[in-house]
Amino acid sequence: MTDRITGYANGIFELARAEGELERVENELFIIAQALDDSPELRSTLTDPQLPMERKQALVEDLIGGRASSLSLDLVQLIVSQGRASELSDIARAVVEAAAASRDKAVAEVRSAVPLDADTIERLASALGRATGKSVEVKVVVDESVIGGIVARVGDTVIDGSLARRVDSLRQAVES
Amino acid sequence: MQFLIATILYQEEGESSSNVSLVLPETAELIAGIIAFAIVFFFVWKWALPTLNKTLETRQLAVSGELAGAEKAKVEAESLLSDYRSQLAEAKSEGNRILEDARVSAEQLKADLLSRAETDAENIRSKARDDASAEKSRALAEARTQVGDISVDLAGKIVGEALDSDAHQALIDRYLADLEKL
Repeated sequence: MTDRITGYANGIFELARAEGELERVENELFIIAQALDDSPELRSTLTDPQLPMERKQALVEDLIGGRASSLSLDLVQLIVSQGRASELSDIARAVVEAAAASRDKAVAEVRSAVPLDADTIERLASALGRATGKSVEVKVVVDESVIGGIVARVGDTVIDGSLARRVDSLRQAVES
Repeated sequence: MQFLIATILYQEEGESSSNVSLVLPETAELIAGIIAFAIVFFFVWKWALPTLNKTLETRQLAVSGELAGAEKAKVEAESLLSDYRSQLAEAKSEGNRILEDARVSAEQLKADLLSRAETDAENIRSKARDDASAEKSRALAEARTQVGDISVDLAGKIVGEALDSDAHQALIDRYLADLEKL
C-alpha cells in the first residue's frame, strides 16, 4: 500500500469519523470498491485520460447519487477529480481496514455466491478470528464467480473453500 | 692505234726498200724496249700493284665484313624469329592456360552456386517443415486448452446452476466446519 493510498484513507477515515458517519461511509465505500472490482468497463471509463473530468463526475453522480450518503459521494468525487480513480478501490479498502483497526479489529472480506444470513456471518467471524488469531469484522461480497462455498481473505491470508477453486484445479489438471 | 698502223706501214716500206728483217727489231731498240718495259714493270710492281692489291684487299675485307654483317643480321633475325616464335608459343600456351583456368573457375563457381542453392533450398524446406510442425503442435495445444477451458467453464456453470439454496448452505456449512477445525 503506497503512502498516497494510506494518506487518502486516513483523511477520509478522520473526516467520516468527525462527521459521525464512519460506519456508513466505510460500508458504502466497500460496496463501491466491489462494484469497481467487478466492472472493468467502469474502472477503465473512470481512468480514461481522454474522457473529460465532468463526464466522469457525472457518471459517478448517476451511479452513486441517491443510493449513498452525500459524504460518500463527495469523497468519491474528490478521489476521481484528483485523477486517482484507479486507486479508488484500494483507498476504500484502506478506509475499511483503518475503521476496523480503530475498533481493534481486522477486516475479513468474505466472498460467497449467495447472501449470508446473520448467524452464518457471526460463525464466520468467530471461526476466522480463531483461525487467524485476530478479532475480525466480516464484510460479505456476493460474487457469483465463487460458484459455491466461501472465499475469505484477512489481510494477506486467504482461506478458499469455493467451488471456483476446485474448478480452477480441474482446469489446471486438464491443461497440464 | 693510228700511230701503230703508221709505224707498221713505215716499217713495211723500209723493209721493202732496205732489205732489213721485218720481224726482229734493232738491238738498240730491243734494249731500249726491254729497259722501258723493265722501268714500267718496276713502277707497276712497286706502286701500282700494291695499291691495287691493297684496294682489292680492302674491298675484299669490306665485302667480307658486309657478308659477316649480313650473316650476323641473318643470325640475329633467325634468333629474333625464334624468340618471336617462342614467345608466340608461350603466349598461346599462357592464353590456353588462362582460358583453362577461367573454365575451371567457372565450373567451380557453378558447382558452388548449385551447391549453395541446394543447401538453401534444403534449409528452407527444413524450416518450413519445422514451422509447419510447430504450428501444428501449437494449434493442437491451443485446441486442447480451449476444449479444456470450455469443458471446465461448462462444468462450472452446470454445477453453479445445479446448486440450490440447500446445496449452497451445505457448502457454507462444510466450509465453516473445516474452518472451525483449524
